[in-house]
Amino acid sequence: MKSDMGLIVKTMARATIPLIGIFGAYVVSHGHLTPGGGFQGGATIAGAGILFLITFGIDEAKKRINKSLYSALEGLGGLVFLGAAMLGLSVVFFYNTLWHNGPVFDGKPGTLLSAGYLPIMNLAVGLKVYTGLMSAVFAIALFRRWRK
Amino acid sequence: MRKTFGALSLLFILGILLLIANPNYGLKFGLGGEDWQKYRYTDQYYIDHGIEETGGTNIVTDIVFDYRGYDTLGEATVLFTSIAGAVALLRKWREENEE
Repeated sequence: MKSDMGLIVKTMARATIPLIGIFGAYVVSHGHLTPGGGFQGGATIAGAGILFLITFGIDEAKKRINKSLYSALEGLGGLVFLGAAMLGLSVVFFYNTLWHNGPVFDGKPGTLLSAGYLPIMNLAVGLKVYTGLMSAVFAIALFRRWRK
Repeated sequence: MRKTFGALSLLFILGILLLIANPNYGLKFGLGGEDWQKYRYTDQYYIDHGIEETGGTNIVTDIVFDYRGYDTLGEATVLFTSIAGAVALLRKWREENEE
């Protein structure tokens, strides 16, 4: 089935979707250094996905995006967040043990590999928000009340 | 007349609440003395000690993911539950996969 969007919209979407995705990935990965974080960056990447879904239609998007995988990845993001919180459970829940005496992510403040579990949590929450929003938008787009 | 009186009394109650909630001379909860302001208004503490305690230069991320981690955990749970509810209510996927 052909989608409703014309050539101009498709060309513009092809040009802008990678840029939006790169910007969202930057916001997620630099969440502990610059304004932004997991929620905001994940919502930005989900905006790129929703633009793809609107522009190229639901049939093209169903071929490219695996919905069951996205539903599973959302739960995985939440579990990684919880696991990063449980890393310092010997002291207290949500103790930043990677920053105080950890083998990785303990560089100087201001560098990318610093701040303990904050980058891990940002990546996990970004993955969770992106896949969750895409799952919800797919569920709404696939919903048909009538029979074919 | 009655409406005017009701509105005036509401304004009066609001003024009394503002007077009570004033941090300089109002009602004090918890610890006595001058220490209670330090324990209630913690923003200057986060700005001073956030970088050495959590390592991130973005203080908002420090607060959201480290100092107030339980809040973020509940927020993630709310997001997960809402999306699970949306997918469960609009379940066309399951029928399509079974066909």
